[in-house]
Amino acid sequence: MDVIFRVRRFDGEKSYWSDFVIPAKKGMTVLEGLYYIKENYDGSLAFRASCRMGICGSCAVKINGRPVLACETQILHLNSTTIKIEPLDNFEVIKDLVTEFDGFFTKHEAVKPYLIRKEDRYSEPEELIQKPEQLYAYYKYSLCIKCGACYSVCPASSSRDDYLGPAAMTAAYRFIADSRDEGDGERMQIVCGDCGVWRCHFAAECSEVCPKKVEPAKAVQKLRFRSSIYMLKKFFIRW
Amino acid sequence: MRWLKWFEFRGKSLFHISYSLHRLTGIVLVIYLVMHLSYLTSIRMGREVYEYFTSITLTPAFLIFDILLVLAGVYHGVNGLRLILHEFGLGYELRRPLLYLCYLLTLVLWLYASYQMYLFVMGV
Amino acid sequence: MRIRNDIVIVGAGLAGMRAAIAASEVSRDLSIAIVAKTYPIRCHSVCAEGGTAAVMREGDSFDLHAWDTVKGADFLADQDAVEFFVREMPKEILRLDNWGCPWSRTQDGKIAQRPFGGHSFDRTVFAADRTGFHEVHTLYERMLSYPNIVRFDEYFMTNLVIEDGEVKGLTAIELKTGDIILFEAKAVIIATGGAGRLFGFTTYSHQVTGDGLAVAYRAGVPLKDMEFFQFHPTGLIPSGILMTEACRGEGGYLRNSKGERFMEKYAPAKMELAPRDVVARSMWTEILEGRGLESPYGPYIALDLTHLGEERINERLPLIRDAAIKFAGVDPVEEPIPVRPVAHYTMGGIHTNMYCETPVRGLYAAGEAACVSIHGANRLGSNSTAECLVFGRVAGERAAEYALKKSYYPSTDFLKEEEKRINSLFREGEESAYEIKAELNRTMDENLWIFRNEDGMAEAVKKIRELKERYKNVSVADTSKKFNTDLTFALEVGFMLDLAEVVAIGALKRRESRGAHYRTDYPKRDDERWLKHTLAYYSKDGPIFEYLPVTITKWQPVERTY
Repeated sequence: MDVIFRVRRFDGEKSYWSDFVIPAKKGMTVLEGLYYIKENYDGSLAFRASCRMGICGSCAVKINGRPVLACETQILHLNSTTIKIEPLDNFEVIKDLVTEFDGFFTKHEAVKPYLIRKEDRYSEPEELIQKPEQLYAYYKYSLCIKCGACYSVCPASSSRDDYLGPAAMTAAYRFIADSRDEGDGERMQIVCGDCGVWRCHFAAECSEVCPKKVEPAKAVQKLRFRSSIYMLKKFFIRW
Repeated sequence: MRWLKWFEFRGKSLFHISYSLHRLTGIVLVIYLVMHLSYLTSIRMGREVYEYFTSITLTPAFLIFDILLVLAGVYHGVNGLRLILHEFGLGYELRRPLLYLCYLLTLVLWLYASYQMYLFVMGV
Repeated sequence: MRIRNDIVIVGAGLAGMRAAIAASEVSRDLSIAIVAKTYPIRCHSVCAEGGTAAVMREGDSFDLHAWDTVKGADFLADQDAVEFFVREMPKEILRLDNWGCPWSRTQDGKIAQRPFGGHSFDRTVFAADRTGFHEVHTLYERMLSYPNIVRFDEYFMTNLVIEDGEVKGLTAIELKTGDIILFEAKAVIIATGGAGRLFGFTTYSHQVTGDGLAVAYRAGVPLKDMEFFQFHPTGLIPSGILMTEACRGEGGYLRNSKGERFMEKYAPAKMELAPRDVVARSMWTEILEGRGLESPYGPYIALDLTHLGEERINERLPLIRDAAIKFAGVDPVEEPIPVRPVAHYTMGGIHTNMYCETPVRGLYAAGEAACVSIHGANRLGSNSTAECLVFGRVAGERAAEYALKKSYYPSTDFLKEEEKRINSLFREGEESAYEIKAELNRTMDENLWIFRNEDGMAEAVKKIRELKERYKNVSVADTSKKFNTDLTFALEVGFMLDLAEVVAIGALKRRESRGAHYRTDYPKRDDERWLKHTLAYYSKDGPIFEYLPVTITKWQPVERTY
């Protein structure tokens, strides 16, 4: 069955739409359609893709208005003869469907997303005990593939460039909830700051679009609760 | 305009739409608050000024505005309570039922309040 | 533009990031750059699923792990390197634990281990069935805490600069702007992964095109054992997505069209957990003899997980269930998964010794891109992520020590030549890089697959040479500078053609069957004549071959049965 891919292009100066006819088969994904365009119609179509199995997070694009992973979306499941493909919102477009991701990773880095322990035993490491229940307390939040879909739909992220965003705060919560971590204080400072948890007002769209069902909205709310306790403690201790 | 992105409804879930409505009703209520305060403080200009305002606004013609205002207020309040619960990290798993409950409560309270206002204004 | 660092690491996968961390631990004064063509967490290492093998508990021993690896390699592995490798592994697991990796646990909180193909003890440490994903993210996050590691993301390497017998640096295209950058460094580590996209039906990501291998080969560094490609038994059809060996480790069965567990005929002791080359050959034999199940995408074998139960699948194999539902429309809890053997791992690579050193001073290689060799003719499952960690560390430490001792920064005028070469691709030509790649994939799939023979491989060599001629006329339609994926694709096809020639001619010359290289015309292993590594050197008229003896310390070759 033939469908039309309407792709929003950008050549560095102006933005325009290009239409391509794709012969869609059962099981063909949007990513395969994009490769088809590249091989048969226009080799200059630029997009990011790698694993084609939904684990690397490169191919997040807006399909018919909703951010999804192109490699996981089957063309015929979209039930529409025209498929509109655009780059993610809230990211600056470099070319066609490729957006600037450096800022996203900088925000992730800002919350210190690594296990902080008082003693760093590099040459003679020891096994850390963690019961299965303790693992499950944070495991879901460690599945984030950093695709940027949550950031694309977050209204707080669209209003302010410096808002940390759902992915970064989920990463912060993932470490705070990890029983092996000893760096709560350092991360809380960053997360309770001006562009942290307090800017989230539970639009919860991030949880709706997350391809890995990480539930960033839940992580941020749990982080809010911890932040309130943290700030109260800090206030009274100072007293 | 970036701040207009709050009000994008296309392709968004009911959660996001509720967020946008919360903002919209918030703005409406703030504007109303200013108007209401100036209305009330008009009494310092004398009893006649206040009663003049009352005679215009407590009429069937203005009822429609009042009904819409109450919708905004009830929605903002009920949704606000839902948000307070969630933002304490509670009830995330029940977020869908709670959302529907919020809309149901809004509808019920709004209809009740509108009915009461209607009765009052119609002088029954 | 020139950028100068002490160490440049090309490739930001498991091996590359581990090398960066190791080098930084040696000295915080070294400036370490990681250059990669994608962001680090988009590397192909995230696709690894099953686990990482390490000797950690009572009842297991280093000698046993080493023996399993050597036997699995069909005795082509260098045994001194294997013995070193198995002893370094347990500490790497514990380090990752200390860095935050969410290893799956037993009930009392210790790191859990699962059985895996070819291992005589349950020693594969795992994190659900997304081990590679979690390891990559853990290493990436740990890497963020070192201030002297600088990342250059989305820089596409085009050439290595080797002058006067030492490495001087490399050139790369900055994808965002299209500029060609010269990275000058005292030491270079290549960790760019394998070359799986030579094949059409493969588990590899789109980006794994053997860049580092081809670039090193063209610069005069020999490639070792390139004819050995591992075919993983269970690749989902038609996409080629990997169904981890852990499916069989957790108790899955392979059934043919008669519903029999046919592995009984080929490997009665280990059954489905025999090494991958044995299982792949068995499955392919069943298909060729007509006992494969039919589908619109060709014949397949059924991977049956239905008896494991929903709870176990959700706990141990969640990604597999998700992938099978999304990409094949099959729920493993209810129905068997359709699978077929798929090109999965490059045992060969850049020739290095046990310390990741190549014959060129200052150049190191680690991970799948290197061939030490510890996998020999066939790799055991869960040994590759392990190799990346151990040898990534070794390469990082060695490169750091070398850079600390070296007193000067090398400099070169290579940049202008390279710019001219790249710009010459923007010409009026008739050939399309996409068509050349499609034909290359078809040739490799038909003639250099699981069962090889003289005629087929000779045909492949001829075809590859023809494609190389056609490649000289390839044209790049997109002339813009920013993010020119057309140009990078054309360069990748050039890399793959060079590698394909090495693979095909090497396979043709090796007149025996060993491990993953199986020939129907020479079906037996020939230790007298062929217990040696193949080395391929670049020349304008094609690869020149030499041979290197295998290092044997403890275990003499015996018959390999399971």
